[in-house]
Amino acid sequence: MASSPNDSPLSPTQAAILSKVEPAELVEQPLVANDRDFNWVTNKICRIVETKTPTWWWVCMAMALLTASFTGMGLAYLVSTGVGVWGLANPINWGWAIVNFVFWIGIGHAGTLISAVLCLLKQGWRTSINRAAEAMTIFAVICAGIFPLFHVGRIWFAWWLFPLPNANAIWPQFRSPLEWDVFAVSTYGTVSVLFWYMGMIPDLGVLRDRAVQRLKLGAYEGSSWLTKRMDIFRKYFYAIFAMGWRNAGNHWRNYEMAYLVLAGLSTPLVLSVHTIVSFDFAVAQLPGWHTTIFPPYFVAGAIFSGFGMVLTLMLPLRAVYGLHDLITQRHIDNMCKICLGTGSIVGYAYIMEFFIAWYGANPYESFAFINRGFGQYSWAYYMMFACNVFTPQLFWFKAVRRNAALVWVMSIFINVGMWFERFVITVTSLANDFLPSSWGYYSPTIVDVFTFFGTFGVFSVLFLMFVRFLPLMPIGEVKYVMPQADPHCHSSHQKGEQH
Amino acid sequence: MNTDAPQVYGKKAGTLALLVGLVFTGFAGFGFYQGWVAGDSRPLMSWLIGIAFWLSIAVGMLFITQIWHVFHARWPTILRRQCEHGFSAFPVLLILFIPLLLVPFLHENPGLLWKWMNGVNELPGHGTVGEDPIYVWKQPYLNINFFTVRAVGVFFTFILLATFLRKWSFDTDKTGDINNTHKARRLSSIGLFLCAGAATMGAIDWFKALEYHWFSTMYGVWFFAASMRAALAILLILSVILVTRGYLKGILKQSHRYDIGCMMLAFTVFWAYISFSQYFLVYNANIPEETFWYNIREKNGWWPISMCLVFGHFLIPFLILLWYKSKIVVWRSVAISAWILTFHIIDLYWNIVPGKIPAENDYGYTVRPFTVEIFDLAAIIGFGGLCIWAFCRSMNKAEPIPVRDPNIENSLNYIE
Repeated sequence: MASSPNDSPLSPTQAAILSKVEPAELVEQPLVANDRDFNWVTNKICRIVETKTPTWWWVCMAMALLTASFTGMGLAYLVSTGVGVWGLANPINWGWAIVNFVFWIGIGHAGTLISAVLCLLKQGWRTSINRAAEAMTIFAVICAGIFPLFHVGRIWFAWWLFPLPNANAIWPQFRSPLEWDVFAVSTYGTVSVLFWYMGMIPDLGVLRDRAVQRLKLGAYEGSSWLTKRMDIFRKYFYAIFAMGWRNAGNHWRNYEMAYLVLAGLSTPLVLSVHTIVSFDFAVAQLPGWHTTIFPPYFVAGAIFSGFGMVLTLMLPLRAVYGLHDLITQRHIDNMCKICLGTGSIVGYAYIMEFFIAWYGANPYESFAFINRGFGQYSWAYYMMFACNVFTPQLFWFKAVRRNAALVWVMSIFINVGMWFERFVITVTSLANDFLPSSWGYYSPTIVDVFTFFGTFGVFSVLFLMFVRFLPLMPIGEVKYVMPQADPHCHSSHQKGEQH
Repeated sequence: MNTDAPQVYGKKAGTLALLVGLVFTGFAGFGFYQGWVAGDSRPLMSWLIGIAFWLSIAVGMLFITQIWHVFHARWPTILRRQCEHGFSAFPVLLILFIPLLLVPFLHENPGLLWKWMNGVNELPGHGTVGEDPIYVWKQPYLNINFFTVRAVGVFFTFILLATFLRKWSFDTDKTGDINNTHKARRLSSIGLFLCAGAATMGAIDWFKALEYHWFSTMYGVWFFAASMRAALAILLILSVILVTRGYLKGILKQSHRYDIGCMMLAFTVFWAYISFSQYFLVYNANIPEETFWYNIREKNGWWPISMCLVFGHFLIPFLILLWYKSKIVVWRSVAISAWILTFHIIDLYWNIVPGKIPAENDYGYTVRPFTVEIFDLAAIIGFGGLCIWAFCRSMNKAEPIPVRDPNIENSLNYIE
């Protein structure tokens, strides 16, 4: 029954239709450029980890550690003094902490989107960027977690956020979306780590085997004493985390199945996390926060900012490691187009918010949006609009997408714009609330600035460690989308087509 | 070799559909006339429900086609041709919409269907529309002339996009010109935004403005989600019919049906996500000027319908579509598609029909009850007949599949 209408032989009519099939030729750029072979791909990716640590890495790591120390200082001062050191004051009781939290969580979204959603949609171009994007997700979630964690003030009581009966028999407020955040973000973080780690297992096996091979050959003449010791370290380090991977057929079958299951689990998670983050605002009655489009609008914004950050990270790596044949113009084009699409969806939401604020005929709601456009924070609103809606419109032009330096600068604009979006939402509605006598102007303190600035260092330290010690791309998956992986590709491969 | 056979079939089915369409549309028109004479808005709502149902399918097909173009999708190339036939119905739907546009100009009560169109229409408990400060505030947007211009603009956008996409696709069959593919991709990337804007405007004007006090920023997204779902469901049924009747036999495979099933599952979840988010945020904030829209959907027979949507339009299709076999076993996939379409109609009822009617009771109003009128069915069947006629007419203008599309071989040889 399952295939009853399909499996019968062709009638003369259908045969006649099929005889007319003569596809027009469409040449598309291959996903791995310059006709590289499998061996080249393995060497290119593994040597990032295996060769001597480049000088630029040490310089960047030193700068990243220095930057991260600002977060350390900010948090140490906060814990030793109290949350009063932040710029929060009536009526603005939510400031940079929630802005930074949403900013970093949003950045994390592109990783899961590339890994899970694009995997389910069978988008082969994801393979060159998914590993780094997944790593970015995890590190962004870590940075995001800092703010709500320290926001509680007495951080040693942070475990009270979990529904554990404590000495006073006080339970968390389950009706608060901030409590939902605890579960959503921790689940998301856990699944993201699992997904990232599981995807890496075959590549860790490759790194282990290459180290073992070099040790067997013993070709270390002329190398420094450290080279051999590093290979011994790699042999055991990667062996532990490769968990006995042997490239066997049943290993790959289980791997593929587990990957698909995790992709299926991650997809609703990626939507749920930012939906719940949007609920932090939207369940309130505050004008500017309470709007029904927030859930999909936040998700689109998160994907937008995430792809912005992927471009920010991958373009320099591509240049430094000479990965132009793996991260091709086609990849950059696609990422730019996703930024254009999601940025425009965000623009749709901005316009819809403004229109319904007027259409709803609620004077408080109307005021909130007029205040955003023309009030004391209008500079932030224009910054947000310009960076998030107008900047990505430049991606319509091929010449812009082909200019890697310009794309990188625009990706920074996207990051800046998305931070301002969260600032505008959070602060403008609180600063001018229902009671004009209590209106205020929010300014961050130096502790706020230090803490946020330092998170870029925390993120960079983690990302640099990832680049140095773990495979930057999934070797097997990259090979899978190469023309050579298609047994029927020979003729079209000659023409440079990609199937 | 009988190469004309599918075209002959299309013509026969088209003639039959036209006949059915004219008879039932005529009957729905009789209801419209009765409503016109009696000053009763309910038969006009039947007309609106009929249009909303078929328009949502055409809009959904237009969205799907453009999404496939933008994503350079290969597997659905065969199915894309069926969507191109599907959205040839836009001009028919525009013609069917004209009577509703004429009501405010020709009827003694311009606000017979959209009550805000007549300033003397009474409001529950407090005066008339003209005295209502909320209406006065919205008047720059909610006025008859601007409404008409917007409606024409919405249809013009859909028709323009559909015309170009069809033209380039059909032209490729003859010439094999790859530029047509590039042009379709470029237009679709802009067209998606135009389509989103037009669909949002249509949803706000024609459905949401029936209760013009209510507002929600999510409403346009709801219509988009519902349209995509309905279009996918009808595409699946259509693909099975076309295979069974020999039109695409041996060409359209199980793998194509499976992927439509997957997309249906995705949009089932998306519809639920949008609908739940809208409901939840209104419920949680508990602001009376928003909650009334949901409150009236708990009264006068609407409570079971609301629950029907929760379970029938989400939970049941969601659980069924999770099964692999539900997406590949023909009768199961057709049954679940028909189920989704049935509940899509109920969803449209739920959005269009309930409304406050002034009454002498404690509330000052009563809610228009849930009823299935004979004219509702006539409009749905009649307009459907005319849309199917447009589909069959379009079938004769092009090859059954885009034979010279660059991705046609990928689609023909597609496996899961």
